Amino acid sequence: MARNRIYQEEEFPSPLVQLWHNFRQNKVVMFGFGSFVFLFLLAIFSPILTPYSSIQNNLDHLLVPPAWDVNGDVSFLLGTDNLGRDMLSRLMHGASLTFGLSFVVVIISMLLGVIIGSLSALTTGIKSVFLNHFLDVILSIPSLLLAIVIVAILGTGLGNTLWAIVLVLIPQFIHITKNAVKEEFSKDYVLASRLDGAGSFRILSYSIFPNIIEKIIRQATLAQSAAILDIAALGFLGLGAPIPLPEWGAMLSNGLDLFYIAPWTVYLPGLAILFSVVATNLVGEGMRHALKQSKES
Amino acid sequence: MLIFTLRRINLLLITVLLLTLVSFSLNFLFPGDPLVNMSGRINPTPDQLLILSDQYQHNANYFIQYWTYLQHIFKGELGVSMASHLPISSEIINLLPATIELSMTALIIAMCLGIPIGFIAAISHKKITDNIILTIAMLGYSIPVFWLALLAILVFSIQLNWLPSAGQISLLYEIKHVTGIQFIDIMLSESEYKWQAFQNASSHILLPACVVALAPGALFIRLARTAMMDVLETSYIRAAKAKGLSFLQIIYRHAIRNALINVIRHVGLQFANLITLAMVTEVIFNWPGIGRWLIESIYQRDYTAIQAGLLVLSSFIFIVHILTDFIYAALNPLARDTKHGA
Repeated sequence: MARNRIYQEEEFPSPLVQLWHNFRQNKVVMFGFGSFVFLFLLAIFSPILTPYSSIQNNLDHLLVPPAWDVNGDVSFLLGTDNLGRDMLSRLMHGASLTFGLSFVVVIISMLLGVIIGSLSALTTGIKSVFLNHFLDVILSIPSLLLAIVIVAILGTGLGNTLWAIVLVLIPQFIHITKNAVKEEFSKDYVLASRLDGAGSFRILSYSIFPNIIEKIIRQATLAQSAAILDIAALGFLGLGAPIPLPEWGAMLSNGLDLFYIAPWTVYLPGLAILFSVVATNLVGEGMRHALKQSKES
Repeated sequence: MLIFTLRRINLLLITVLLLTLVSFSLNFLFPGDPLVNMSGRINPTPDQLLILSDQYQHNANYFIQYWTYLQHIFKGELGVSMASHLPISSEIINLLPATIELSMTALIIAMCLGIPIGFIAAISHKKITDNIILTIAMLGYSIPVFWLALLAILVFSIQLNWLPSAGQISLLYEIKHVTGIQFIDIMLSESEYKWQAFQNASSHILLPACVVALAPGALFIRLARTAMMDVLETSYIRAAKAKGLSFLQIIYRHAIRNALINVIRHVGLQFANLITLAMVTEVIFNWPGIGRWLIESIYQRDYTAIQAGLLVLSSFIFIVHILTDFIYAALNPLARDTKHGA
């Protein structure tokens, strides 16, 4: 939309708006973003939208193949599983478990990680060295293994896996925030506001955060794709969501025994996981690209 | 180089020390008696408990307890498994080589395929090849590994019947357990069917290794692509062009070497990711490795095994990490001299 320029005033968009302008340019990325929003809405509204409940058994419709199959039934669009539960409804409910909860997990660990990271960027000396080494150690442990250990401490179950994944993701956020804050602190504009008499926390909240938020959001998309995969993997291994819950990983392991008779019970949840991870990764990729562009311009 | 080596060894020591601290404190965090968790002897009689608490200095303060725990670890005593009552150190020695074999094969596959493809993508930047490769790479690291493993079994083992779906080698072949790495054991064995056994073992490892290799391979494509694109923009490439070298000459003589160094730097970081994938894949392919053992010990609430497995696996990953750092430094003199304060 063309805007009339009445005043001879130059507009300087904030870093986030600038990012959005660059982000919009790529069509594939916008498709990914659209899918991300779609999944997000699905995660919120799935209880209203689904045709059946996720645990409703239709005992006279066991293992109905998807509707495009010859034996399919159009009232069960994506078929049913071994207990006659509608796959489409379960997949939609699963969106709020696997995708929605991964979103919540990422938000929580982002908040905690950013707070710890920015505090640790302000510390120096032995404390910071110790934290650095400790972070290196935690980051060298594979995320799933760490999650498994935390689940072993807390006990299995969906709630515990979520806490485990929160704890696993925090170090990455600490790391990225710490480096970003340190980098910004050495710049001149921070020195300027320091000379104006601003305290460390004022500098952090007014000068630094607006400039590093895009890096944190980018890390959040990476973390979310990891979180989706981890929730699903733990569900699949039977350490996360219990089988009756329509969590995609747990659904997949539920269909495992019927893999050869009813392959749709395995490939549909897998496709759902793949779709959500690809959508998240596309958003992250677009973010990275837009960041690079706005840095170059 | 000496200072670099000392720094790395120092880092390794501190890390392993911290890891032992983590696994030591896990004993107190896990449900149950810390002493039982540490030693793995379930339902001990009061007499046994007394001996154990003497062994682990359980009544002393935490520092002395930790010190005795460390001594136990350096003697190679990791306690006994709560589930099988076998010493954990011997179980780990039996199982770790299979995981090393699987992850190393996967790493080699991922590097041999991923890096050249990444270079091709970088050379044809902003063309259709580049886009296709990037799309495939994106799919590659987005696929959930357990799903991929199941699909691979369905297609290659059941429908096409090309490759076996489970285990390390067919039970027909009697291979003595020497190193635990199947290929070396086969070479060492005196069997007359050595060649057949070798073929059988390679057909068993191919499918799981490819499944594990896909996601790291896709990341290598991206790393190699970025590295190559950075190198192609440098001034020495421009100088080579000005000298009149042909494009292929520039790529072979100058660009590949310099881009490769940057990729090798990231191999260590990818290794932790690869081990995670290998753990899940081991469960599905029934591979007798440490990942499957660890996940089974969670089902059995075998806390001794979990903390020991965590310790061993993470130290292994960190050692690989440090080793790649060394290889990188050996290949790239710039890293040795300027990179201080790591």
